[in-house]
Amino acid sequence: MIRLSGLQPTYMPGENIDFEYRVANVDRGSIVAVECSVCWLTEGKGTEDLGVHFFQRLAGDSLAAIDWTIAQRISCPLPISPLSYEGKLLKISWCVRVRFFLNDGTELMAQQPFYVGTLTREV
Amino acid sequence: MSGWWFIGSLGEALFFAAVFLIGVFLSAILISWQLMSQSTQPLKIWNGFWLFLGVCLSFAVIGIVGFWYRVLKVVTSDEHREVIAQRGIIPEPLSGTQIPKRTALAPSIPDVKRFTDSPGARLAYRLPSQIPENGALVALGIFAMAWNAMIAVFVVLAAENYFRDQTPWQLLLLLLPGIYVAIRSARLFFRSFIQILGIGSTTVEIEELPLVPGREYHLEVVQYGRLVIKKIAVRLECQEESTYHFGTDLRTERQTVFSQEIASHGRDRIDWGYPLRLECRFCVPEDAMHSFQSKHNAIHWKIVVDGEANRWPSYSRSFPVLVYPQPKSSRPTAAS
Repeated sequence: MIRLSGLQPTYMPGENIDFEYRVANVDRGSIVAVECSVCWLTEGKGTEDLGVHFFQRLAGDSLAAIDWTIAQRISCPLPISPLSYEGKLLKISWCVRVRFFLNDGTELMAQQPFYVGTLTREV
Repeated sequence: MSGWWFIGSLGEALFFAAVFLIGVFLSAILISWQLMSQSTQPLKIWNGFWLFLGVCLSFAVIGIVGFWYRVLKVVTSDEHREVIAQRGIIPEPLSGTQIPKRTALAPSIPDVKRFTDSPGARLAYRLPSQIPENGALVALGIFAMAWNAMIAVFVVLAAENYFRDQTPWQLLLLLLPGIYVAIRSARLFFRSFIQILGIGSTTVEIEELPLVPGREYHLEVVQYGRLVIKKIAVRLECQEESTYHFGTDLRTERQTVFSQEIASHGRDRIDWGYPLRLECRFCVPEDAMHSFQSKHNAIHWKIVVDGEANRWPSYSRSFPVLVYPQPKSSRPTAAS
C-alpha cells in the first residue's frame, strides 16, 4: 500500500513531495529487494517514455535494517518540469511507484499517480 | 513471468550468448593460427586478416551487448534501467536516495543554448530556421548529381562503342529511360532552387528566450527577396510529436494543438535591399504547456511564417522557440 501524505494529489513544480509506503500480508523474510521511485511517463500514440526523478533501492543489509511494522517515509523535491499534461497525441503523468521483489521470483508493484502543476485537472 | 514470455526471453538470451561464443571462438582460432602456426600462415597479416578479425569481433560485441540487454530487461525494473542509463554504469545495487544531477534545472526541456547562439540585428536573438524545403532540395540535388554522373559514364561508354562500329543496342535501350530520369530530376532541382532563390529568405528575431507563459514578447519578421506578396501571416504554434513502431517501420505523427495568428500583412512589393519588416507583440497563453522532449515524444513551440506571392507557390517557414514553465507557479486556492 502506498499513501501520499499530501491532502490533494497536486504538487507545484519545485515543491516537496512527502509520501509513505508499507507492505502487508507478505512474509518479511521473503523480501529480497525494494525499489521506490518517483517518475513521469508518457502515454498515447507514441512509444512510452519513462523519466526517473527519484530512485531508491533497498537490498541486503539496508533492507535487513528496516522495520516493516512502521511505514517508510520518503520526501523529495520535485523538479520544475515536465508538468503533468493531457494532450491529443500524448499524456505526461507522474507517479510514485514501489516494487517488492520476493525470493520466489514474484514482483509486487504498486503505484500512486499525482499531478505536477495545474495544466490538467483529472488523473 | 511464465509461458511464452519466459521462453522468448530465455531464447533471445541464449541466441546472443551463442553469437558471443561463436565470435570469441572464431577470433581465438584466427589469432592463434596467425601467431602460433608460423609454418601454415593461413592469412597474410594485411590480406584479409583484419577483415576476418573485424567480423569475428563484431559477432562477439553484438553477442555481449544483446545478451546483457536481454538479461537486464529481465532482472531489473524499468526505473532501475532508466537510472542505470542516466548514471552510465553497470548495475550495482543502489542504496539510498538517487536524484539524477541533470534533473536539477529543467529536465526534459531542450537546451536553450541551441536557440540563443545567433544574436539578432535589432532584437536579442535571431531564431534558427526550420525549412523543410531545404532538406528536400539537398536530397533532390544529391540524387540528380549522382544519377546524371552515372548516365554520363554510360553515355561515354556507348559513344566509344559506337565509334568502334559496335553499336551497343542493349545499352542504348537502357540509356533512354535513364536519360529521361536524369533530365527530369535536373529540371525539378533547378525549378525548386529558383523558387527558393526567388522567394528569398525569411528571418525572425525575438527579444527574449526562453519564453514563459503569460508574458509578452516583441518579435520582428523580415522577408527578403524580389516579389509581390499577396499575404504574409505570422502564427505562434504548438505541435505534439509522437514516434512509434508500426511493424518494422518507425513512424512519426505530428498534431498542432495550438495555433494563434500574431501578425499579418496584405499586398506589398518587396525588392532587393527593401525587405518587408513586420513587427508585433505576442503573448504565450497562461495555461500553455512548456516545450518537452523525450526519446519518442515531444512538444514543440514555433513561430510559423506563411506567405502567398504572385507567380510563386505558397510557402511556410518555421522557427522553433523554447517555452519554459512559469518559474513560480502558485498553488490554486480552490479546485474547480
